[in-house]
Amino acid sequence: MNKLLEGDFVTLQPLTLVDASLTLRWRLSTRAIYLNSGAQTLAQQEEWIISRPASEYNFIITLKNGLPVGMVSLIGVNQAHRHAEPARFLIGEESAVRGIPVAIEAMKLIYSLAFDELNLLRVFGTIPSDNLLMIKWQNFLGMKEEGRLRKHYFINGQFQDAVILGMLVEEYRTVALPRMNALIAIGHRHPSK
Amino acid sequence: MNQENIVMNLIYKAFESLNAEREPQKQISVGPDTCLFGVDSILDSLSLVSVIVDIESLVSEQFDRVISLTDDRAMSRDPVPFTNVNSLKNYITEILLEQG
Repeated sequence: MNKLLEGDFVTLQPLTLVDASLTLRWRLSTRAIYLNSGAQTLAQQEEWIISRPASEYNFIITLKNGLPVGMVSLIGVNQAHRHAEPARFLIGEESAVRGIPVAIEAMKLIYSLAFDELNLLRVFGTIPSDNLLMIKWQNFLGMKEEGRLRKHYFINGQFQDAVILGMLVEEYRTVALPRMNALIAIGHRHPSK
Repeated sequence: MNQENIVMNLIYKAFESLNAEREPQKQISVGPDTCLFGVDSILDSLSLVSVIVDIESLVSEQFDRVISLTDDRAMSRDPVPFTNVNSLKNYITEILLEQG
């Protein structure tokens, strides 16, 4: 998929080789501790980008002034089962997104891709159990806890559970979308610099 | 302690919870005039959601009432309750007073 996903505050641009250096820097930062470990060198990151399968949609989150601030993906798109997994969500430029509903709108665009364009019925994912901020965030956006994989991840020097979260299309329309729209509306009422 | 002070303390408690998830060098200092969203805000939207969720939960526990900080009423209010900590405190107090 090569098209842009346009929001009011952000644009999701398809990940390309040009983004290898930037995304490698983000993924090697401490903020990426909860993502699966990946490339350690620029060559490895370029190889990783080239090898993305057709079942994935990988994006760079950019502000309307063109500044890239993060990344997000929709992976494991399965049209037979009509599900997919939002993944690799990372804000790399924290100071650039203060006061702007960047994370909210990026996730809204990913959900819209899944449910409105790809006509999926369900999105799901796992989050390490000590990543409380992300669990709280996903619950607020309408995800429901569906179970746990015990001691599934080794992160921060300890084994921890993987919290399984999922959302159905009707929950997206009745819970997630109104909440996301409300927070995006706050952004319009409180314009940033 | 009056209701306004209790609400203010609940807001501060929500920020304590947020700070517990942040690195030591990225702790957020909060006061009544702290801007929550827009120009000069200290929060990204992920952090704002964390604060909203915790405040709704803390208010529910403290007062045995359910409030929503992102419903149509909050969004149509001028200024929006998230202008700063003080305006958020005033909005929550107003809702609680109306609920009796």
